[in-house]
Amino acid sequence: MDILPQVLINGIFIGSFYSLIAMGLNIIFGVMKVVNFCQGELLMIGMYASYFLVTVLGMNPYLTPVIVIILMFIMGGLIQFGLITPILSKGGSDYSQIFLTVGLGLLFQNIALLSFSSNYRTIQIEYSTSFNLFGQIISLPKFISFIVLLIVSYLLYFFLSKTDLGKKIRATSQNPLGARLVGINDKQIYIITYGIGAALAGTAGALLLPFYFVFPLIGEVFQLRAFVVVVLGGLGSIKGAFFGGIILGLLETVGAIIVGPSLKDSIVFISFIFILIFREVFQSRQE
Amino acid sequence: MKRIKIYFLIIAYLILILIPLFTDSSYFMHIMIITYYIMFVSISWNILGGFIGQFSLGHAAFIGIGAYVATILLVNYGITPWLGLPLGGIISGCFAVIIFAPCFVLKGPYFTLATIALAATLRNLFINWDFVSRSIGIVLPFTDNPWIYMDFTSKKPYYFIILGLVSLLVWFVIVLDKSKLGFALKTVREDEDTAAAININPLKYKLITTFISAGLAAIAGGFYAQYIRYIDPDMMLINYSIESVLPAIIGGIGTVGGPILGALLLHPLSEFLRSSLSSYNSGVNLVVYAVVLILIIRFKPEGIIGWLNVKFENLIRKFVKK
Repeated sequence: MDILPQVLINGIFIGSFYSLIAMGLNIIFGVMKVVNFCQGELLMIGMYASYFLVTVLGMNPYLTPVIVIILMFIMGGLIQFGLITPILSKGGSDYSQIFLTVGLGLLFQNIALLSFSSNYRTIQIEYSTSFNLFGQIISLPKFISFIVLLIVSYLLYFFLSKTDLGKKIRATSQNPLGARLVGINDKQIYIITYGIGAALAGTAGALLLPFYFVFPLIGEVFQLRAFVVVVLGGLGSIKGAFFGGIILGLLETVGAIIVGPSLKDSIVFISFIFILIFREVFQSRQE
Repeated sequence: MKRIKIYFLIIAYLILILIPLFTDSSYFMHIMIITYYIMFVSISWNILGGFIGQFSLGHAAFIGIGAYVATILLVNYGITPWLGLPLGGIISGCFAVIIFAPCFVLKGPYFTLATIALAATLRNLFINWDFVSRSIGIVLPFTDNPWIYMDFTSKKPYYFIILGLVSLLVWFVIVLDKSKLGFALKTVREDEDTAAAININPLKYKLITTFISAGLAAIAGGFYAQYIRYIDPDMMLINYSIESVLPAIIGGIGTVGGPILGALLLHPLSEFLRSSLSSYNSGVNLVVYAVVLILIIRFKPEGIIGWLNVKFENLIRKFVKK
């Protein structure tokens, strides 16, 4: 049991990434009721953007999120403006939502495959050391990423609950018609929301880069887990996504110790399906 | 007018049957075989996704089960694939019914998510399962009796097998489309409450459709294993599920002709692009698929066939007038 604290720390670190990606999914779902099947690919784009900022321009890996956030926000806004909003205004059936975002994911993934090949890439950083905290070994890059993640999560929470724009977003999410009646431009809110969702995924990607490798299919690793988190924490709830991510990270690392690391995916996915079904059954009972 | 359309289709079909007599290019045969294979998978997906409106993105799992059942029966027990294919279909169909039954309480995107998770779980289990030789995969051996063990060295027999399978399936779907069952499925797709009110139990029909759809996908998987002669758990990756969905959506979801048209147009096109842009070895075909998919969803959600039906009729009308 001496490894338990170490396992818990790792669980919280990886869980905080799931949180951030899931928050992006959640805000998009909360406002537009769109289940974004390309969130993982947005993370991949963020990672590649950060990778090239570091290797080509020689930036510090922890400064890249600033640029990645802006890039991804613009990109997300364009996707929303050009593709998703038109579909939503046509009625936005499940069918078109699912397969539009699946198509975008497929497109991003294969463009990355074409442009960067399927090689795994990593960056070299100077401070890839670890330090000792209360007898536990903690890797410095993971720790820095974790702190930045906490700050970003808090900023998002602050933005949504305290600023005018954040309040507009929440209003649109709670009652789209009412929001339009009081003069909120919902098309504009949609663009900003998807931009934020994409920026969150990109930020997670940029922060993941210092201690993870990037390859075109990396999105799939995080995509399904982000969905698990959203379902765990409750749809549309930012706080829920934050704690859901940490819980999933813990479940995964502790589960890996109990049943062996190679079966941890199965645990995560099976528990996901169970939670999905129980939630649905429970909700319909309540009604 | 309808008769001209039928003549046109018969001639097109005859051309497809006669192609192997005029060409010896194994590259061309390969493209056509894979096109038919994708068509087969896509039609079977369309029965679940199009006719009854349950968008599964886990069909690669059923393809995988079909491939594994047929292969293990052949390699471990010496049972011919002619029996292994239908057996794989039945096993996969039953398996799909059991695992999808609880998932049908989920609606829309949540059902899709559950199917993705199921396929990912199955792949993960296969990677850790010694009986199916883990992630190493299984190589299918060659024997001396190609007609019994379906291991031809030439591509032509495979061409006729898959063309025959696809033809049977198309005939089945045409019948299904106009049958009482077909109308029941479409009623469930359009409105479950109405369906339940007129004594069509949505869950029962969803399960019937799941059995048919997953069983057919598994038969395609069994064929694929016999043709490629190597299988591994990566067959169950989500990308292969997406690949089997695309022709149906691009061609026209919920129609008989949609997946046929989608596969015939897209796969040869993407193969052509792959060979002409040979410096980019992988990814080109899926980029093409993805772009077409996005454009179709954005501008023509009913698929190419909706557009074609009108054009084709106009063309014939002009022709008849002259």
